[in-house]
Amino acid sequence: MLKDAAYWISLAHLPRWRTARTNEVIIKFHHTDKISIEEFFSLDTGVWEKEYGLNEKEIGDLTNAKSDIPNNSFLAETLENQGFELIPITSDDYSQTLKDNLKVNYSPPLLYIKGDKQIFTEKSIAVVGSRSASAKSLQFTDNIAKLASKEFKVIVSGFAKGVDKQALDSSIKHIGRSIIVLPQGILTFGKGYQEYYKQIVNGEVVVLSTFHPNAPWMVELAMARNPIIYGLASEIYVAESDEKGGTWSGVKDGLRKGRKIYVRMADAEERNANGKLIELGAMAVDFDGKVLEESATLKENRESFDDSLRKIIAGDILSAKEIASRLNTGWTSRKMAEYLKTMTWVEEVKIKNATKYKLKPVDGTEQVGLF
Amino acid sequence: MNREEAEIRLREVFKLEKFYDEQWQTIEELLKGKRVLLIEKTGFGKSLCFQFPAIVYDGVTIIFSPLIALMRDQVKKLNSLGIRAGCIISEQAEEENTQIIKDAKEGKYKILYIAPERMENDEWIAAVKDMNLSMVVVDEAHCISIWGHDFRPAFKRIINLVKLLPKDFPILATTATATKRVEEDVAKQIGEGIKVIRGNLIRDNFKLFVIRVESEDEKLIWLGKNIDKFPGTGIIYTGTRVNTEIYSKWFEHLKISAVGYNGGLDAATRVEIENGLMNNRWKCVVSTNALGMGIDKPDIRFIIHTQFPQSPIHYYQEIGRAGRDGKTTYIILFYNPADRDLPEAFIESGRPSIIKYFKVIDAVKNEMHGEKELMKIVNIKQTQLRVIKADLLEQKIIREVSIGRSKKFEYIANAPELDYSLFEECKKLRMEDLENMIEYMETKDSRMKFLCDYLGDNYEHTKSNCDNTGEKKLKVTVTPEWTDKLKEFRDNYFPTLEVENSRSNLKNGVAGSFYGASNVGRTIHRCKYAHGGDYPEFLINKTIKAYRHKFADKKFDLVLYIPPTVSGDLVRNFAVTIAKRLGFKISHNLIKHKKTKEQKMYENGYLKSENVKDSFEYRILKEIKGKKILLIDDIYDSGATIKEIGRYLTKEGALEVAPLVIAKTVGGDIAC
Repeated sequence: MLKDAAYWISLAHLPRWRTARTNEVIIKFHHTDKISIEEFFSLDTGVWEKEYGLNEKEIGDLTNAKSDIPNNSFLAETLENQGFELIPITSDDYSQTLKDNLKVNYSPPLLYIKGDKQIFTEKSIAVVGSRSASAKSLQFTDNIAKLASKEFKVIVSGFAKGVDKQALDSSIKHIGRSIIVLPQGILTFGKGYQEYYKQIVNGEVVVLSTFHPNAPWMVELAMARNPIIYGLASEIYVAESDEKGGTWSGVKDGLRKGRKIYVRMADAEERNANGKLIELGAMAVDFDGKVLEESATLKENRESFDDSLRKIIAGDILSAKEIASRLNTGWTSRKMAEYLKTMTWVEEVKIKNATKYKLKPVDGTEQVGLF
Repeated sequence: MNREEAEIRLREVFKLEKFYDEQWQTIEELLKGKRVLLIEKTGFGKSLCFQFPAIVYDGVTIIFSPLIALMRDQVKKLNSLGIRAGCIISEQAEEENTQIIKDAKEGKYKILYIAPERMENDEWIAAVKDMNLSMVVVDEAHCISIWGHDFRPAFKRIINLVKLLPKDFPILATTATATKRVEEDVAKQIGEGIKVIRGNLIRDNFKLFVIRVESEDEKLIWLGKNIDKFPGTGIIYTGTRVNTEIYSKWFEHLKISAVGYNGGLDAATRVEIENGLMNNRWKCVVSTNALGMGIDKPDIRFIIHTQFPQSPIHYYQEIGRAGRDGKTTYIILFYNPADRDLPEAFIESGRPSIIKYFKVIDAVKNEMHGEKELMKIVNIKQTQLRVIKADLLEQKIIREVSIGRSKKFEYIANAPELDYSLFEECKKLRMEDLENMIEYMETKDSRMKFLCDYLGDNYEHTKSNCDNTGEKKLKVTVTPEWTDKLKEFRDNYFPTLEVENSRSNLKNGVAGSFYGASNVGRTIHRCKYAHGGDYPEFLINKTIKAYRHKFADKKFDLVLYIPPTVSGDLVRNFAVTIAKRLGFKISHNLIKHKKTKEQKMYENGYLKSENVKDSFEYRILKEIKGKKILLIDDIYDSGATIKEIGRYLTKEGALEVAPLVIAKTVGGDIAC
């Protein structure tokens, strides 16, 4: 049992706090000051203000959270009794993959899980895609799950209809292991625990939530849950994406952050945005998940294209239009901008109202703290 | 707040002059946000130790207590002092509980009593989130220790809760009965830095007696002669349910006002008897130990045990409720050395066989199950399953989870192997306790001192309040007059078979005797299982007599008997004889058309009912339409077969079905 569970619940769900802010506080007390969360909460508000740089509103929130600790003890007891585990970000059991991917800004301070937490030490794959995916996409999902099972990789999915559910079902069918990331509080999954009972007991399924344990399903939570799915996975497979919606924005975000993303190469007659994602830099895979190599010329072209790009913007700050014209591509500014976004070594800068681009400075300093 | 200021507040609010030192010591610690274990005898004033800080704090104090009557009573008292208090108990209407929870969330209460089982309730858990909590109290804290005499699994969750509460959050645990070992266990579980405050446990107003007897008859005779001589009203504890019936019928026979009480009665009857006890409606209530805990009656003037309990601590607990007003109170114990069989059987059968544990574990490994499903799968009694459940929860092999509104058991992944060496240790300890109990009865020294020493009381007192220290010895003298009275009672006492229900035309029937009584059971067993021939004349006579007692000259249209499962004409021949003697028509047309197993193979009602369901048939249905039927069998156990036949015959048009048997078993009677 996590002795200070009630403290963590109080800290993890501060009203309208950005995750980054909560994590900064955690890094300060855990890493810099080397004190327990219990000790942190018993600090004087003066210390919170001076040493933690907390403002009046934040101190008020923490004071309220502190007075909720006895109440949260009741909740923590229920969670423990029902076999849920709480894993704070300071714990060795916390998913390293999640930390590596989401960093200090987005890593949730507290995970609620049911099942064998050893699963976090395995390599993992997220299969993502539309809720109303085609039969082809579902079959692709099944293929990937089978592959994952063979390679002892964990399937991460969000328990939504379509691709998510297929990924889970297939993982179970192929006796693989999977993580269900809930778009709701861990206590509200009810019959789900009965449905996946055997898999949970056998360590094949782990249910995870980052929200308040009693939070009901909400669209906002479903949206907030998506980055956790991406974050828990070492590789991302896209079965099917539209040109908008959760999958689309999630993948673009992932590309921007330099994640390894594989997209199913769609057939000519399919109406989806898989091709666009490949154009934006995702890797194309075939129906069985095998990477379709870029043809040698294409690859060479791209590399020389990127080289030219690097030379053009080195030491300069330019707009997408200027870059496109100097590269002589004939691309629209919009397409150029999309492409630039996928380049990890390009940084966007706002100058007055215009968006411009420059080379990202090499970051020499290591991140402090938990990450 | 210092003591002086506190006592001003005490006078204002509680109308009490001052605190005892130990009370103030406790309160002072709690006000500092500390944890305290307070061990004080009944009547000391433990409640004030949390009620006072509760009114000092802003928020609400939560009190976990297993004693419903006591909770109600304290709530009443607090409200009369103008302190807002409430209790949330399952005996109250759902709406009432919901309202109290709502009020508590709005900060309208200072004190809220709840049963430990409430921690299982989602509504409660959700509501606690919004309460302003100031303190938690665990009443009857010995229930959290498996080494205690009354371990209750529901308390386990309170311990988990207490471990999660902030260190500077005040917690009070109280009990009147804790040996040193239990004290240490409780203190350890409540947490580091807990302060233990132990008072003296002596009860000066008790007069303790042990009456040496050789038989059940001697107990009945002594009580018959003497019970009316005691002042006031009191409780007689018998070891078994069946004895609550026999002793109370005996008093009824002697025109002494008494009533029987046990855990087998329905809730409404139990509440009625509890209220009657409070209002001195009877000279005595004859009860198993199901009664007493939580009866907050200040003037119980005597407590008599016809059967000695399994340990001195059980005994101290059971007599503890008597004489709270401090006036002279008689505490009497019958000692027949042969009676050790019963507590020994309790201890021996305290745990089901290991194989049943493994069956439960295997079942739960495969699928989530509820209690009822497990009883069926494992073929086990509910009481036994609950023992297994408590052990498996304790050893962290299974856990109980809520799925929607139902409770299920699930296997804990990578759980440890079942450790049953613990069971042996527990059993050994219980046996030692039993020896200590016998020592209490055989001691030549002060009995109160014996109890106090046993409980780890470290005070020195002169204890001169028992039959070894000045009070006169009590003895039984059996006279022919009383032997005759008892014989007359025995010859005319027949157990009722309660089978009436709204879904059938079954009527309550009667048995010639209890199975266990004198030579009845032995004779039946010989005839049934050892080729002893037909049931002898004396059993037939006894059964006919029971019939006359219950039904007098009532006529039945038809006698049926229960067709045998295995083979043999024992019951058939018996029924033929009975029908002939009573002058009723007999029919052999009730048959079993489905193979069933012997009912005794099944250990719980669900399986017994399932075993016999739809397995009987009557060959010529028109014979039974509109008829009054007497249904004969030899032994009445769970009644499942009789109920099934009653249901079937009702469906086919029978007007009335009443059972008549030789003997009613008391096998399931070891429970309280």
